[in-house]
Amino acid sequence: MGLHVAPKTAEQSPIIEFRNVEKSFGAIKVLDQLCFSVKPGEHLALIGPSGSGKTTILRMLMTLESVTAGDVVVNGVSLNHEYKNAKEFPASEAHLRKMRSDFGMVFQHFNLFPHKTAIQNVTLAPVLTGLLSKAEAKKRGLELLEKVGLADKADEYPSRLSGGQKQRVAIARALALQPKILLLDEITSALDPELVEEVLNVITNLRNETDMTMLLVTHEMGFAKDFADRVLFFERGKIVEEGPPGEIFHSPLHERTKSFLRKVIAAGQRV
Amino acid sequence: MENFEASVGYGWYILTGAWATVQLTVFSCAVALVIAMVTGVAMTRNSHLLRLVARFYVEFFRGTSVFVQLFAAYFVLPLIGITLSPIQAGVLALGLNGGAYGSEVVRAAINAVGRDQREATIALNLTGWQALWWVILPQAVVLMLPSFGNLAIEIMKGTAVASLITVSELTFQAQTVRSQTGDTAIPFLLIMVTYLAMASLMMSFVRWLEKRFGRGITSEST
Ligand SMILES: Nc1ncnc2c1ncn2[C@@H]1O[C@H](COP(=O)(O)OP(=O)(O)OP(=O)(O)O)[C@@H](O)[C@H]1O
Ligand SMILES: [Mg+2]
Repeated sequence: MGLHVAPKTAEQSPIIEFRNVEKSFGAIKVLDQLCFSVKPGEHLALIGPSGSGKTTILRMLMTLESVTAGDVVVNGVSLNHEYKNAKEFPASEAHLRKMRSDFGMVFQHFNLFPHKTAIQNVTLAPVLTGLLSKAEAKKRGLELLEKVGLADKADEYPSRLSGGQKQRVAIARALALQPKILLLDEITSALDPELVEEVLNVITNLRNETDMTMLLVTHEMGFAKDFADRVLFFERGKIVEEGPPGEIFHSPLHERTKSFLRKVIAAGQRV
Repeated sequence: MENFEASVGYGWYILTGAWATVQLTVFSCAVALVIAMVTGVAMTRNSHLLRLVARFYVEFFRGTSVFVQLFAAYFVLPLIGITLSPIQAGVLALGLNGGAYGSEVVRAAINAVGRDQREATIALNLTGWQALWWVILPQAVVLMLPSFGNLAIEIMKGTAVASLITVSELTFQAQTVRSQTGDTAIPFLLIMVTYLAMASLMMSFVRWLEKRFGRGITSEST
């Protein structure tokens, strides 16, 4: 069982906290004494140059990466440690599985199961994890496919779908487990430009219609601005600047943020 | 070929060996498949012990010849109280040996299913075994099938060694006819054709399986 390591305060306590998180791959330090927290229901955009550690942050939350030092705390429970008889142990697989149930993740390259149809991709996990019966999962799965505009593609295999359609199936698949926190890692960067909008529209709807906490890593500054309540600008595993999108995009304080945005604008993006 | 009638009679006699060959092939392949799956999967698991045991098994059975294994099954096992019929001994030796070769095929195919797929199963909160059974293996099997087809044909060709422990399979029957009639060409031509026919039947079966399991996968792209 996890121990509550964060005392509950009167104000809304964070759903995610990074506490002095450090991550190294061999000798390369990717995240450096990283601290930030996310409030329930918040829509966070993580931006920054390539290699700044954005993906690593999402992967840590999805337990695909472990911390080198520090702690990631979700709903007051450590993701990396568990406590038995007041002693600290590395998180067991059982602990990780419990923690994972709060998260859903959509990957840059969709990672759909090629041997399963769209609807089977969506229903597999809720049935296997015991969340829903087969019939319930099917019903809910079809609703989700409908919601992402793919009701008519339920029985297609991924190989017969366009990139945008695949990514929408992947979103429906992540939603099928009813996550409280949705992690989106550059979900449109593998798509042809004309397919980007259909995927972003789905995300916009989710943003407006659900109370899910959402963490979005993106290179689409225009979308980040519309989507986010708060933007974190990363460089070399550290937060350089954070704030509401209006401030970050229009009156950034740091020279690094300014130069990053200049480069982005020079590359033809609207900000 | 002095006597056509006699040739037909011998021909038929040789073909009666086909049944034993088929039995040896089918059962040996079944044993080999199970062993290959179990040891191949074991070699991809995190447990050091599992990997070590599987690795030992594979190295042992690939490193000692199938002849030795066959003789051990037929002549040595009785010494510890296990007496097998010639066919049983043949199936055991060919199956254990084939399984050791198949093990590598299974391991390689499982590892060839991308990290992306594994990470998706973690993000969907499946257990390791659920991921293996529902996501990894169904894709890996498609990759295994061509090699398994080849392995099955190797096993079929290998069934001839069972003639050494008196199983009256094709090769054994042909040898008998040859030693009694002195005619070499016809008996061996006949078994060659029979082996070929069996092999092509097996290949068609594998191709059918590839179609059956390849849905959504063989046209690639996730
Ligand atoms: N498994 C790994 N092994 C070694 N280095 C890694 C590994 N994963 C990430 N890195 C390194 O960590 C750094 C941060 O990677 P990360 O993917 O988090 O960056 P990012 O901000 O998402 O970049 P991008 O915008 O290009 O996606 C990079 O320098 C990357 O090369
Ligand atoms: Mg990234």
